[in-house]
Amino acid sequence: MLTLLKLELEKLIRAKSFYLSFAVLVGFVVLMLWGFYTYAARKTGGEAVEQFKYTYESRQYFNGLTFALYSVLFSFTLLLPIFVSMSAGSQIAGEARTGTLRMICTRPISRASLVLTKFLVTALHAGLLLTFFIGLNLVVGLIFVGWGNLELYPGPLNLVDAPGKIMRDDALMRFGYAALSGTWALLVIAALALLCSVIFDSPVQATIMTIAAYLVLYIVGRVEFFEHLRPYFFTTDMDFWRVVFKPDIPWQSLWHSACVCGAYTVGLLLTSVVIFERKDIVT
Amino acid sequence: MWVKLILLLLLCLMIAGAVHFAQPREVHGPTPTAHAANSIRLITWNIGYAELEDDTRAHSKDLPAVADVILREDPDAVALQELTGKDQLNTLVGLLKGKYRGAVAQQGRTDRFEAVLVKDTGATFTPVAVGSRYALAASFRTRPDTPQITLLSAHADAFNAAARRTYTENLIDWAQARMRSSEVFIAGDFNFELKAANETNLYTDNVKHDSESYSHILRSFRDLGRNAGDTAINDRRIDYVFGPPKQVGRVEVLRNAAVGRMDHWPLLVEVGL
Repeated sequence: MLTLLKLELEKLIRAKSFYLSFAVLVGFVVLMLWGFYTYAARKTGGEAVEQFKYTYESRQYFNGLTFALYSVLFSFTLLLPIFVSMSAGSQIAGEARTGTLRMICTRPISRASLVLTKFLVTALHAGLLLTFFIGLNLVVGLIFVGWGNLELYPGPLNLVDAPGKIMRDDALMRFGYAALSGTWALLVIAALALLCSVIFDSPVQATIMTIAAYLVLYIVGRVEFFEHLRPYFFTTDMDFWRVVFKPDIPWQSLWHSACVCGAYTVGLLLTSVVIFERKDIVT
Repeated sequence: MWVKLILLLLLCLMIAGAVHFAQPREVHGPTPTAHAANSIRLITWNIGYAELEDDTRAHSKDLPAVADVILREDPDAVALQELTGKDQLNTLVGLLKGKYRGAVAQQGRTDRFEAVLVKDTGATFTPVAVGSRYALAASFRTRPDTPQITLLSAHADAFNAAARRTYTENLIDWAQARMRSSEVFIAGDFNFELKAANETNLYTDNVKHDSESYSHILRSFRDLGRNAGDTAINDRRIDYVFGPPKQVGRVEVLRNAAVGRMDHWPLLVEVGL
């Protein structure tokens, strides 16, 4: 199993898509920085002050932590799931497409171990991706925007019901929590993509099917017609990762959603193992 | 085989964890009544209709039902919104059997009026110019030995978040100037859309304006009806009673009170003085 893990890690590190995912995230951070800078300049400049007498968007509000929070929240929903789907979707289907799956399966390793190893590598990729992204945002925020406390207001980020504040050191800790909770949430996507990768023989098909399923549930979950169905979508529970940014973390609800996500992940993984063990590999 | 067994065990563990940590559904019911001897009971109610109707202002045929709710709940003062004018207020005062006095605000650019009903016969009413709109303030006492109360009935723009922000800023400026001499309460339909999850965009200026407005009010006032739940159809909490940070007793949205095609429910707040 360890040798298998080592081999899979080598494959991951050698893949161009691995570096591409990090490069795109760097590009996103640059874009966010530009947007944040111009927005902050506009909101603390003359025009906004002339129009409205009072605002919480002061120079103290716009700091590196606020920048990192906005950037991570904006990207998590739509950007990171794409890379995780790509990584997981290519794990089994990619081998099938290149014709190496049959050969791997002739080696004295169980198919279950193979699926599990590939999932672990994908999980590592997801964790690295999110940790790198959060770290990069914090570093860029510190250098280009500056430090301060994290001020939260009801509305835009949908995090609090009343104005609140998280002190700088505590806020940094919260970003650490977000790396863990966010990775855990992304594992649902990884497990779904791996299942698609087992079912379909094309990595593109597996990735697209995963993203399509994710987007359909995400969009439908936001449409009022389907309000009663919302609790049954995994996309609803995946959102739990962000509650670590509430001034008082609702631990009970966090553990509940984390367990629901875990159940989805393990359930999908188990399904993948069962299907893969019975799969007739003809490529 | 052992891999599948471990995964199955993990799955069971996760499901058990999810059940264990599940929270009971939040029920917005009536809260315990405050010590009635030294408290004030307020109601705010936009009695207008939903947008599906030709005339979305209050309908005179609903006034007996409105009066019934007021008489049953027996508030010290009521802030009403979307009346068609003084005639409707006079009808309502008549239906209240002389227990309340009232006034409507001056007409602004809109075709609807804010009003306040007060039990205290010595109450005074002051129109408050807020941009192109008018709010109405009533000053009164619940008992001769209690502090003077000022209740503002307000109604912010339904369609423009920037206008709501400007309105709120002016209203709070007016209220802050009176906070030293009396206990100020602001009640009304502010139309704040603070649930960003309902927006299709990740970040909009509209949500930001409402966030600024609401946060600005909370610098000086407490949102007394925060735990009462939605006050209007489509899961919206857009009617508020803001007041000093006093001990809050009963807070309730009277969900059976709406009649006809009203899209708001009255919000009742009882606060210790």
